[in-house]
Amino acid sequence: MPVWIDPDKCNGCHSSRQPPCLRMCPGDLIVKDHSVNKAYLKYPEDCWDCLPCIKVCPEEAIEFHLSYQFGSREATLAPHIHKDRDFITWDAVDVRGKKETFTIRTKVMKIALDEQVEDSEQGLDFSI
Amino acid sequence: MIERQTIETDILIIGGGTAGCMAAVEVKEKFPQYKVTILEKAHIDRSGCLAGGMNAINAYLNKGETPESFVRYVRSDSCGLIREDLVKSMSELFEYCVKKVEKWGLPILSDENGDYVPRGRWNIKINGESLKPILAKAARSAGAKVYNWITVTNLLTEGERVTGAVGFSLRNGKLYVVNAKAVLIATGGAAGLYRPNNAGDASHKTWYSPYNTGAGYAMGIRAGAEMTSYEMRYVALRTKDAIAPTGTIALGAGAPQVNAKGERFMVSRYADIGGDGAPTPYRAHGPIQEIKAGRGPVYLDTRGISAEKVTDLKKAYLDMYPSQVLYWLANDIDPGAEPVEVQTTEPYIVGGHCQSGYWVDVDRRTTLKGLYAAGDVAGGAPFKFVSGCWAEGVLAARAMGSDIERMEEKVLVSEERIAAEERRAFGPFENHAKMKHGIKSSELESRLQKIMEQYAGGASTYYEMNEEMLAIARKKLADLPQEVSGLVAEDLHQLMKAHEVIDRIDVAQVLVEHMAYRKETRWPTYHTRTDYPERDDVNWLKFVNSVRDPQSGKIVLMTRPYEQLVPGDRYKP
Repeated sequence: MPVWIDPDKCNGCHSSRQPPCLRMCPGDLIVKDHSVNKAYLKYPEDCWDCLPCIKVCPEEAIEFHLSYQFGSREATLAPHIHKDRDFITWDAVDVRGKKETFTIRTKVMKIALDEQVEDSEQGLDFSI
Repeated sequence: MIERQTIETDILIIGGGTAGCMAAVEVKEKFPQYKVTILEKAHIDRSGCLAGGMNAINAYLNKGETPESFVRYVRSDSCGLIREDLVKSMSELFEYCVKKVEKWGLPILSDENGDYVPRGRWNIKINGESLKPILAKAARSAGAKVYNWITVTNLLTEGERVTGAVGFSLRNGKLYVVNAKAVLIATGGAAGLYRPNNAGDASHKTWYSPYNTGAGYAMGIRAGAEMTSYEMRYVALRTKDAIAPTGTIALGAGAPQVNAKGERFMVSRYADIGGDGAPTPYRAHGPIQEIKAGRGPVYLDTRGISAEKVTDLKKAYLDMYPSQVLYWLANDIDPGAEPVEVQTTEPYIVGGHCQSGYWVDVDRRTTLKGLYAAGDVAGGAPFKFVSGCWAEGVLAARAMGSDIERMEEKVLVSEERIAAEERRAFGPFENHAKMKHGIKSSELESRLQKIMEQYAGGASTYYEMNEEMLAIARKKLADLPQEVSGLVAEDLHQLMKAHEVIDRIDVAQVLVEHMAYRKETRWPTYHTRTDYPERDDVNWLKFVNSVRDPQSGKIVLMTRPYEQLVPGDRYKP
């Protein structure tokens, strides 16, 4: 499974109908289970490994795993957006546990926890 | 009963990607009086090709280069046949577009004199992890109205005129009918026509966005627009398994291709056409021939590059293809110590790398009145990449703005036509309710991909094809359109997936006709005809075009002449 949302960390972005991870997936692969208030990747076989979902998660609850057929699941790669949104730092841990970090310039746009869908009656809640 | 939402606009842009966002901004800047509406299949902030980011602008006129030198290069890279008018006109706008996006916030690496840092002859380095949200914000701020999660299923036409489009919302299930004076199609190219490299949970680990499924091509095919050069498929040379772009390594670290024996085969076998700098089709064809001859695997030889260069490589991939870095971490690979294995992808149809797409004039008008095309969906102009898509968005925007100034009234289509499209769009829903053994989109996708893979020049036949194979492909594909009437969808996501397959079937049929029609091998691997293995400038220095008759459904092939505008040897950069 390429992208995995840790249910222990995901808070469903509170009462958001459409949390950022769900909105930013270009394949419409993430859904929110409102009964438990958590998002999950519904269609892992359709994931492109493009990672916008990980970058916009305010809880950093989404993990990136290599599809197991390509190699060990032990290595990890996790992006952290800086507060000023001008840099992104990637924590990389290889299969032997060696850690490396990479800090790169960027220009991250602000993202709301929820967003109104055009012509829809569904509610919108930004409260945290 | 399907609820309906009707939108009135001046300009409709289908697809809020690279070309679409730039077009929206250009219209609002040059013609602020016009209403611009964008229908986007996903969310405009992170949709399509740029979702993961981009680490370079690969079409830029660095110091000393001119539109003419660019045309000469692209012409030789595309084996002597391009629409020179289109390539030249886009190159004249590279700087205009890149400076604009830099102003919007894209970090571009500059030297102490303020000049962009080149990464190759036509490339500059960017930190484009957030390129897509930057473009999206610009489009919204300019005043374009964006509708996210609309799967557009068809264009609306009245006679020869395109008057709008119809689609459905993935979120509220409503039918959207948009009436417009001008429509720009900017939906991207087509992935998923052939079997992908990987299976299981990596089946979408493709190079081209798996969510670009040829919708724009298919809509035009169904409406009777003239298409060009589908036979120039794109087969990309990419890193093994991760399918990440190789330019980052080849250009970024100057790594040459070597075979299993360590031989620099591009130099030893393709010296006369440029060795490691041979035209792009040969840089995929060369390694395929090594593997075919038993001299594989093939690598980009990164051994001996400095630790600093390795870090640069990793950073570049993190801006665009992070899974490449995770692949190295998981397999304990240091690209400075061992070479990076490469492979070729399944064929894609993409007008931004090759030149398959709508036949357009220099202002990006298609052959249908009121319909314009820009980006990967527009034909005749390869080597567009990001900046060329921007440029085409600008050109189309200017043409749309000035064309509709002269237009009096909006043309509206009949209720009958809209109702018919509603039935077609939601058909798989109805089928689900009444059919016991309906066909899932994934099943139809497998059937399509199997035909294309085995009879239409897939990777398993080293991308080779002949008349007889293509005849089988044609026959088997002909069964698929009626299969569509048995497609089922349980929810809106599945309905989108159903339309993705429907569209790809229409594209595949046109593709096979194009590949059968061109009786030469101009672009090896992209279109290797074993029965016509040589390039034939006497008979085939021209474009293969097609129109599918909207009434009979018959695909009619024709040729259009090539025109040389920039003098010089067409095979020399």
